[in-house]
Amino acid sequence: MSAAASAAALEALEADLLLEGVARHWGFDLRSHSRPQLLRRLRRHLREERLESFSALQARVLHDSEALEGLLRALSSTPTSLFADAAFFRDFRARVVPVLRTWPSVRVWHAGCGTGEDTYALAILLHEEGLWGRCRLYASDASEGLLADARTGVLPLPGEDDARRHAESGGRGSLSDYYTRDGNWALLQPKLRDGIFFTQHNLTIDGSFNEFHVILCRDTLLSFNRALHNRVHARLYESLARFGFLCLGRKESLARTPHAAAYEELEGSGHIFRRVT
Amino acid sequence: MSVGLLVVGAPRSAGADVETLLSMLPAHLPAPVVVVLHRGPHDVLAPPLGRRCALPVVEPDDKDDLVPGRVYLAPGGYHLLVDRGSVALSVEPPEHGCRPAIDALFESAADSYGAAAAGLLFAGHDDGQEGLGLLQARGGRVAVVRGESESGEGQEGEVERLSLADVGGWLTRLAYAARGRVQP
Repeated sequence: MSAAASAAALEALEADLLLEGVARHWGFDLRSHSRPQLLRRLRRHLREERLESFSALQARVLHDSEALEGLLRALSSTPTSLFADAAFFRDFRARVVPVLRTWPSVRVWHAGCGTGEDTYALAILLHEEGLWGRCRLYASDASEGLLADARTGVLPLPGEDDARRHAESGGRGSLSDYYTRDGNWALLQPKLRDGIFFTQHNLTIDGSFNEFHVILCRDTLLSFNRALHNRVHARLYESLARFGFLCLGRKESLARTPHAAAYEELEGSGHIFRRVT
Repeated sequence: MSVGLLVVGAPRSAGADVETLLSMLPAHLPAPVVVVLHRGPHDVLAPPLGRRCALPVVEPDDKDDLVPGRVYLAPGGYHLLVDRGSVALSVEPPEHGCRPAIDALFESAADSYGAAAAGLLFAGHDDGQEGLGLLQARGGRVAVVRGESESGEGQEGEVERLSLADVGGWLTRLAYAARGRVQP
């Protein structure tokens, strides 16, 4: 074996031991995460923490819950601006909102909300469409640290690009109506922030906690391997009411999931699916 | 062909060269080809790149299988990683200002295929050099395709440098010479 190949094998072993330790000690099972993504993020985290090896990271993470939180944060990635994917919100307005108008009350679950940018964008959209009063919006993430950020309702101040994407999404009025400025930060209106139920929920181990009419789970399952991805889809299916909507990322597919036949894709939408059976 | 995967990285300026490369691929290529071409989120690339290519050119969804004889183009706004026979898309932050980034693809190819991967990088951008080095260190066969303006031996020294005209021969050697090679 060449030196590089043996170093790679050792690194893979250390990564396995780190994940095993985190799963057994903290109950966070990262072993079923997408391997290439996990390795790359762990390496970047290592460089940022100025550690020499995954073994050194393991020692720190097992003894320090803050180090674990730092690791979970490094492994997550959510959009860092409001209406980051304007096309999705435009399709949601055009295809989902008209149906929601016909329902007396709507429960919405944003699974994997991270620091809340998409959650707040959705809240603004529902408010603009006059649906905020009849919607209950639940937002969940596995990481308490990210959730704590999301709960504050404080975001980097939206710039011109954000305002443009909001308009592209079909937004009426001005984005700035929904926050007050504090230096380089935006404080979202309490009427939005206080109407969202942020809750810690780990898609990989926790069961369904309600039945929903709309589930947003966009680009969150990219970090899971195929087996876990399919297990989580079974859970999302259980949590979605018949004729409810499942909104996935632009390049996520239901094709190989166990309940693919139970959904119809809304034509011309950016991967919005409707549960039909 | 002992090569199980061909990864190709190119900056935006090399778009036409990538089209030429794809036109050189044999119709019965026994390995999947994965391409990262720097792009904006709204660029339409698969149809123009597939125009002269004998193989189907697709922008895969997350977790799609990698099938030999197909060309997989990284979609805008996502990194494309490979994971032992399947695609893994990722929304990690951009690298070198790019998403998709070439380094991301090459790094994952080195991890998941090692010496069974071959990598081709079109010169002109920082992105991809580190990943190409990693792939080479893991035993993968790599080369850099130099731009029109460059000539002669490149500064990298240890990495084979080709002109666009040499690429066809490089692809053929990949298919045959590698067969008898003793793996380290």
